[in-house]
Amino acid sequence: MQTATPQRQTQARAAQKTASLRVALVLLAIAAVFFGGVILAQYSGAPRVGIGVLGFAILGFLLAAIGRNLRK
Amino acid sequence: MSSIPHDQVPGHAVDHGRAHDDHAHHPGGIMRWVTTTNHKDIGTLYLWFSFIMFIAGGCLALTIRTELFHPGLQIVDPEFFNSLTTLHGLIMIFGAIMPAAVGFANWQVPLMIGAPDMAFGRLNNWSFWLLPFAAALLFGSFFVPGGAAAGGWTLYAPLSVQAGMGMDMTIFAVHIMGASSIMGSINIITTILNLRAPGMTMMRMPLFVWTWLITAYLLIAVMPVLAGAVTMLLTDRHFGTSFFNAAGGGDPVMFQHIFWFFGHPEVYIMILPSFGIVSTILPAFSRKPLFGYASMVYATSSIAILSFIVWAHHMFTVGMPAAGQLFFMYATMLIAVPTGVKVFNWVATMWKGSMTFETPMLFAIGFIFLFTMGGFTGLVLAITPVDIQLQDTYYVVAHFHYVLVAGSLFAFFGGVYYWLPKWSGRMYNEKLGEWHFWLTMIFFNVTFFPMHFLGLAGMPRRVPDYATQFTDWNMVATVGAYGFGLSQLLFFYIVLSCIRNGPPAPAKPWEGADTLEWTLPSPLPYHTFETPPVIK
Repeated sequence: MQTATPQRQTQARAAQKTASLRVALVLLAIAAVFFGGVILAQYSGAPRVGIGVLGFAILGFLLAAIGRNLRK
Repeated sequence: MSSIPHDQVPGHAVDHGRAHDDHAHHPGGIMRWVTTTNHKDIGTLYLWFSFIMFIAGGCLALTIRTELFHPGLQIVDPEFFNSLTTLHGLIMIFGAIMPAAVGFANWQVPLMIGAPDMAFGRLNNWSFWLLPFAAALLFGSFFVPGGAAAGGWTLYAPLSVQAGMGMDMTIFAVHIMGASSIMGSINIITTILNLRAPGMTMMRMPLFVWTWLITAYLLIAVMPVLAGAVTMLLTDRHFGTSFFNAAGGGDPVMFQHIFWFFGHPEVYIMILPSFGIVSTILPAFSRKPLFGYASMVYATSSIAILSFIVWAHHMFTVGMPAAGQLFFMYATMLIAVPTGVKVFNWVATMWKGSMTFETPMLFAIGFIFLFTMGGFTGLVLAITPVDIQLQDTYYVVAHFHYVLVAGSLFAFFGGVYYWLPKWSGRMYNEKLGEWHFWLTMIFFNVTFFPMHFLGLAGMPRRVPDYATQFTDWNMVATVGAYGFGLSQLLFFYIVLSCIRNGPPAPAKPWEGADTLEWTLPSPLPYHTFETPPVIK
């Protein structure tokens, strides 16, 4: 087992914090897009098409998110 | 593999929590709970909150059942009855089941992946403390002019566009609870992706963690959609828009499409964590690894994905082209395939296992039996012509209570009995636990099984009065409901007596349990896995 120096531990902790913040912001952005998307879709003239596009975006998001993580 | 044999976790990690217990600096009294960022404290808060909401929602249900004991109007007027059914649904879904699942996630996800805590402690605290305010808005709406929302938990337009101030309070409560869910989901996903112990690869995570990861993705995808829908409802009500107002050129049916685009995945949001709990309990008491771990992960993902393309099966009677009806019917039936894989794997896990039947195992087996029945009635309802006959009858009420009460709730009871020794450091009374199971099992079926007959005979849901030919089964259901409700007081007593004066629990009270949390002492130290364990 490697013994990490306090400095290395601090660096690792900071890197982990940054990575966590990045993931959280991406997820928050996705939530914001879905929230705005479902309202804006109503203005597109053909709301059912808009909702359909949003639905496929969500499906794609799920497939990509789970697929990407499965490789790890 | 989902399980981590003990010899693969180094001793220093095993003892680490105990060594650092003296570092458990936190304020005492009420401030501990208000300001806590510790995942265990927040998990406890979520679980107690959900239990209080469960009792409150249960009281509303008992009032409904009391009114329905006899035909005619007895104790409440029809408007208030509609408010009761609406608030019962909203409180049980958003106040009881979802927070309970998040409570389990808060307690177990960091422990099962070897993380010291959730990724964002303060966000976690904030996610919880939003909920009491949302609950206050919901209950407070009973006391405003016009009363609480009475259009059903689905808040369908145009009724919800026309309702009184109680509807605004409900909309704000949904917004707050949605924000809480989204923040909680971000926290859970980030924790699972970034804070796993070295060696804890995705395909070695316990299935409970997998089911919560997928649930959290579902929440991120659909809660904003619900928030968008109720925001449009709010602007229709107060700012002159006409999204769902037919008089202004809007489309009320569009609300139903958007709502169920959220609503059907929501069903899986409520049931997937339960799948994870059952998949943890069954191997422990069968003393065998979970059968088909990888197929369980893929089946859970498939269920999540399919849940997005079936929403309109809730709306067959609204009217849609035959091709649409066929698509949604077959897509709904398709969900039976991954669900069947899961049920098969659970049964195969028990097959030739050295099974014992402690309370958690009883609830897990009860879950499989009753959830499968609920699943089958779901298949019946998926068939378009049958659904058109049964829409809005008590058959539907029976179906979703078999899925959500016998599904989610039974798994949560099992989970509490399974992990309570680890959480509290004390053993519960096994004999009373078994009594709780059997009373719950019997009274659940006495309450909800007759509703299948009532629905098939044509009794509509959400009505305070009914034709006299439905009297007998309604009386049986009401007696069952009171028995079921009283049985849960026994659960409260069991948990309370366990926490206060149960005998000390060993570090691993269940012989077959093999996930990471069982390598830690009981009760758990305030801080755990500050140095991550290495999973070989």
